[in-house]
Amino acid sequence: MKLFNQSNSFRLTVFLLPSVAITLLLTGYGILYALSNSLQNDGIGAYASVVGHTMFQSSLVFSLKVTSISTGVSLLLGILVAKIIYSYFKTSSLKLVIWVPMLIPHFVAAYLVLILLSQSGLFSSAFFHLGIISDRMQFPILVFDQAGVGIIVTYVWKSIPFVVLMLLPVFYEIDRRFVQVVQTLGGGQFEVFKMVEWPWLFPVLIEVGLILFAFIIAAFEVPYLLGVTDPKMISVLAYQWFYTGDWSFRSMSMALMILLTLFILLFSVVIFQITKKRRFIMMKGRM
Amino acid sequence: MKKKIYFTLFSFVFLFPIFFLLPQSFAWNWRWPQMVPDTFQLRAWNALFQEPRLIEALLVTILIGIVVVVVNLVLGFLSGKGLSHHQFKGKTIIEMILMAPILVPSLAIALGLHVTFIKIGLANHWLGVVLVHLVPTLPYTIRIFRSGYDRLGKRILEQGMTLGVSKWKIFCSIELPLLLPTIRSAVMLTFIISLSQYALTAIIGGGTVVTLAMIYYPFFQSSNPTVLASFSFVFFLLPILFLLLFEVGVKLLKKWAG
Repeated sequence: MKLFNQSNSFRLTVFLLPSVAITLLLTGYGILYALSNSLQNDGIGAYASVVGHTMFQSSLVFSLKVTSISTGVSLLLGILVAKIIYSYFKTSSLKLVIWVPMLIPHFVAAYLVLILLSQSGLFSSAFFHLGIISDRMQFPILVFDQAGVGIIVTYVWKSIPFVVLMLLPVFYEIDRRFVQVVQTLGGGQFEVFKMVEWPWLFPVLIEVGLILFAFIIAAFEVPYLLGVTDPKMISVLAYQWFYTGDWSFRSMSMALMILLTLFILLFSVVIFQITKKRRFIMMKGRM
Repeated sequence: MKKKIYFTLFSFVFLFPIFFLLPQSFAWNWRWPQMVPDTFQLRAWNALFQEPRLIEALLVTILIGIVVVVVNLVLGFLSGKGLSHHQFKGKTIIEMILMAPILVPSLAIALGLHVTFIKIGLANHWLGVVLVHLVPTLPYTIRIFRSGYDRLGKRILEQGMTLGVSKWKIFCSIELPLLLPTIRSAVMLTFIISLSQYALTAIIGGGTVVTLAMIYYPFFQSSNPTVLASFSFVFFLLPILFLLLFEVGVKLLKKWAG
């Protein structure tokens, strides 16, 4: 028995050690080095300078706004599209259309938003021909705008396929007899969704929502291209501070990213704790 | 009927913007509010391929992409199987460590690794860029392989073992063919994520490692929108070509294995 255990733990080491080592060496080491670097110049002072900086405050509000709107809208539309695909394209390969945006990088998606939605873009031209506007200046500023509409549209467009990809298997998993129960008892579409589908979707939605939230709030690629000078997304600000060439700004850049990391981790823990009971009951209900 | 409406809507939202790149890339002088440009010409494509670093960047991007994909596959097979087919003490902690890079901002990691990578000679080198590309790719690969091994189950591998077949043979004749859809999704996702990295490549590559993204960003700020349309379409074609290459490779491998 002992021998068996030993060989088993040896095999486990072979299976898991490489990935764990690489993750710890890159992610763990990177974060710890950033932490020590943030304290190097001025100790905790770097954090005080970050929190007191006006650029930080506007950037925090802006990042939170863009991230929560993008995440919320992506989840909502993702559920809707997944449901439509499940209802109408269950066996059809036409649903492949949905996955196409996943093939292109985020920065290309940002360019698509620019050529379609800017004031001299295709939609603006179409609106002119439809007689809705008579000059391109009348088209709303949706790209390079203060509210971050262009950034939000890019992330929503790129995220919906991902949400659908994660939710679709859940729809297939749902025991359809429950739907029949609800319908026999006189429930409509809404009751079916609320009583049968929502409990199954909820745990996955929490997970997907967290992944999107963490990704978008720390995003650099899209806001760097479509953002305005002020307010900036947090990562863009950190990147800019890092390359100013001033050492105190370098510490502040690291401090800013450490604060962001702590915020995301704390946020995830809180969300997981709040939803723990509900997720647990739902998981148990599945057994 | 409803099906047709939804399909049209989805095509318009998800497909049309990408294919709109094609006419845009041939329309040198497309002015507002024209719905159709005056002429179609090859100027943008010519201009794109006159960019002296383009071909080199293309090769560097593909090389980095292939290495990142291969490392991901090896690690995905190992840890996917380890997590799916084994129960052990401390599994939750291992899972949390492996999934942590999804939550931790990769920019924070890259900024943290920057100085150390310079010291050990990994900065400004494609190898360092490969390593840093593992951060946003590996957690997803592990997840994909884990659920792949979950679906495969333990029993079918045990059957092979009771028949006395070697581990390597079990891997080649059961795991590889049955996990093909898993491998395919991991390959595509990894390649696309690697292709999409700007900040990580810029920080660790330090401007010496020039991938396509390194050229795309300055183009975005300065270049003609028509040239950028052709450049963008290249980014759409690359993963598709990569997938075709992968399928040809699989076919050849199957033929060779008989």
